[in-house]
Amino acid sequence: MESWGTAPALRLAGLTKTFGDRPAVDHIDLEVPRGSFFGLIGPNGAGKTTSLSMAVGLLRPDSGRSQIFGVDVWADPARAKELIGVLPDGLSMPERLTGRELLRFTGLLRGMEVPEVERRSGELLEILELADTGRTLVMEYSTGMRKKIGLATALLHAPKLLVLDEPLEAVDPASAATIKVILRRFVRDGGSVVFSSHVMAVVEQLCDHVAVIASGRVVASGSLETVRSGRSLEERFMDLVGGQAPEMGELAWLSS
Amino acid sequence: MVVLLIRMKLAVLRNSMNGQRAGRLVTGAVAGLTLAAGLILLAGRGYPVASLRFDVLGAGFALWTAGWLLGPALFGGGDETLRPEQFSLLPLTPRRLAAGLAASSFVGVGPLVTLVAFSALVVASVKTGLGAAATVVGVLAVVLQLSVCVLTSRLITAVLGQIMRSKVGAALAALVSAAILAGLHSSWVLSPLAQTALRTGFPDSLSAWLTALPSGWGLLAVHAAAQGNWPTVAAALAGLAALGLLSWYGWAGLLKRRLATRRASGRPVRVSSGDWARGPVTAVVARELRTWSRDLLRFHYLVFALCYALVFCLLPLAVGASIFLPWTGLVFALWVAAISANLYGEDGTELWGKLMIPGSARHDVRGRQLAWLLVTAPTALTLTIAMVVLTGEYGLWPWLATVLPALLGGGAGVTVLVSVLRPVPMTDPQLRGGNLLENGTDFAQVLMVLILSAATAAPAYLAARLGPVWAGPVVGLAGGALLAWSLGRWAAAKLESSAPELLLYLRTGVSPQRRRPALAWKPERPSLSKPELHLEKLGLHLAPNGQRVYVVASLILCWVPLAAQGIVPALMLATGQITPSWFLALHLPQHLQWPAVVTMTCLGLVMLITGLGIGLHYRAKSQRVADELEPTNTAPGKATTSDNQPTDHDHHELRLEY
Repeated sequence: MESWGTAPALRLAGLTKTFGDRPAVDHIDLEVPRGSFFGLIGPNGAGKTTSLSMAVGLLRPDSGRSQIFGVDVWADPARAKELIGVLPDGLSMPERLTGRELLRFTGLLRGMEVPEVERRSGELLEILELADTGRTLVMEYSTGMRKKIGLATALLHAPKLLVLDEPLEAVDPASAATIKVILRRFVRDGGSVVFSSHVMAVVEQLCDHVAVIASGRVVASGSLETVRSGRSLEERFMDLVGGQAPEMGELAWLSS
Repeated sequence: MVVLLIRMKLAVLRNSMNGQRAGRLVTGAVAGLTLAAGLILLAGRGYPVASLRFDVLGAGFALWTAGWLLGPALFGGGDETLRPEQFSLLPLTPRRLAAGLAASSFVGVGPLVTLVAFSALVVASVKTGLGAAATVVGVLAVVLQLSVCVLTSRLITAVLGQIMRSKVGAALAALVSAAILAGLHSSWVLSPLAQTALRTGFPDSLSAWLTALPSGWGLLAVHAAAQGNWPTVAAALAGLAALGLLSWYGWAGLLKRRLATRRASGRPVRVSSGDWARGPVTAVVARELRTWSRDLLRFHYLVFALCYALVFCLLPLAVGASIFLPWTGLVFALWVAAISANLYGEDGTELWGKLMIPGSARHDVRGRQLAWLLVTAPTALTLTIAMVVLTGEYGLWPWLATVLPALLGGGAGVTVLVSVLRPVPMTDPQLRGGNLLENGTDFAQVLMVLILSAATAAPAYLAARLGPVWAGPVVGLAGGALLAWSLGRWAAAKLESSAPELLLYLRTGVSPQRRRPALAWKPERPSLSKPELHLEKLGLHLAPNGQRVYVVASLILCWVPLAAQGIVPALMLATGQITPSWFLALHLPQHLQWPAVVTMTCLGLVMLITGLGIGLHYRAKSQRVADELEPTNTAPGKATTSDNQPTDHDHHELRLEY
């Protein structure tokens, strides 16, 4: 095992997962440098969510390994999970709690002291503009509010690495701006962020490192500039995943 | 349009068919057809009194129709294969859509089985020789009665769906379904009356009622046709048609409303400070107590358990029997256990949060157990004490003090264990519609937990029956505590070891593979102390199912015959200090005591040795498999990044220290 001081924030080696006969993730190797803002992009169904789930310990891989700061997620989950904060996409939370209760109980479950939990959740709710939602249950939250409270629970224990699955998907611009500010600040203060998205503009705006996943494999990875190779990320992405713009002239019956 | 919707429904049914669904469908069809065949047999057999054939059939039809009308309230659901919302953007008038959907509800196993069952009317008509005209009327009546069943059932489901969106509605629905179920379970009260009726014919008033109900209008029409009373035939058939049409009309109206309204957003909740929650376990208790009070489904279940206990135990008072009253608290506790054994399934994919918090499985299970006890015990105790005082049955206290703690402890253990071992995936809470009926209850699970929880009280019961007066309460309390502790420990260990598989199952409904694929590397020694019940640690993950169950069961149970029924009574016999208690041998005639002790000891030894033998065999096998994997699967060491991009090492300079 590499020492704590030099290991990358996240390292995936040969991660593989097959559902039925279809390999969803096919021997993925990936290295997320410390202190990087890492974007994972790929078409729908490319295996981004499956990879991230395996990376953080939510889905058991068929083979391969995932290390967080050199700690193996599946061999030593307790240590690895102290180091990460996770925001999955579309999964449930303790829905019948208010945001403040959710943070309080999550903190206590993590073994944190009451005054510390209260101080941190107060600040988080304030910054994320959720402080006024005192009596609303999480299940009544809008998509943007759900992402924000999810981010708050991910940040509560001061992790070193944030792993976020589509954190800005279907989020209104105001909430998205808040989330972006917090993530930038997290990276500026020494944290590392991995997030998946299929919105190229967001990735170009935020990330310094990128990996492109298609059909369960990494087809490109490295610094943003290296992957882009002097073109826009969207053009490069289309090249890599083999997509093409529809030809004009189709759907002629639509013209009024 | 009707044909299109029917084809669409068939396609949806075909595409969503998997092994489990197909199994349920076939079981349902076989059970239904058996009942239908029973009804046809009743229509065809001979009776001591001539009127009995049609009276029995009338009772059968009434019960069958009641099943259609009340089924949705009891079992949840109703036919939602094609959801009206899916068609709301199509340029169709609500009435046309309602007509199409109504027609498609006639496609399915339920209507088909019902058609077979109702054909008993035609059989009865032919058997009694009522003539061709009556038989033709019978055929018509069968079709109309089926329509009434299907359409009225849809109407009632829609009405309940509208009602069950608030706490009051949920409580009301719980009261109704509890009353129906408890009533059915108390029907033994009627058995002497039923036996008399089957010998001497139904009382006139009952016959009149059975014909007056819409379920008896078909019978009425057939009778009238045989007598040439055509106005009555016309009235009965027209009545059925009108009832079907009215139900459809009402349902179409509710459908229109359903399509145009959305779930009202929840009202602000009452927030208590929860200051008493200061550690991981109390935090879970606080969260669970909030769920019990805020979640409509849990609240509905709780009210159901209370209403069932009250109705079931109070109903026999109608025939002057108060024997059940002191046991009301017990029945309540048993039902709360039965309806809270899907704790993880109800919370859905929320499990991911616990996966991300190291060591939270144990806290979560213990917290849920405590919360369950806090919800159940006070009411169960109050009901028990109040009913004993009311009936003055103070002589029962040793029994109640025996069984109640055993049951509460057992329930606290069984609910969490079954929640982990046999969860039933449900839609995530935030994605559920406001309608509780859409979240059907898994009756197999309810039944299983009822039996398991009741079984947990068995040792205490035996102790009370066979031992001195203090033995029952002591064994009840100690056994309850032991069961709560040990089953909770088992549940926590299972949750800790297989939470990712459980999450996958709750997310996708795909059953986790029994045998986990071997990881392609040998994990480094984990710092987390693994719970002792790990099947991998025992090597049992390689054993076939039956043997695995045998090993675990024999190693747990062998101590009963070996120590408790073998060695301990042997010591008592040897020393002469005999307390019979629950020791089987000591209750036997003297010449059989030693043979019983020897038999029990041998039985225990056989269980221990075979269990241990099989277990060790698979442990050695798993060790061999692990050793074979080791040399070829050492960690890759260095991760590569991509096929066509160089690794970017510049990032080392960007590294920031914490």
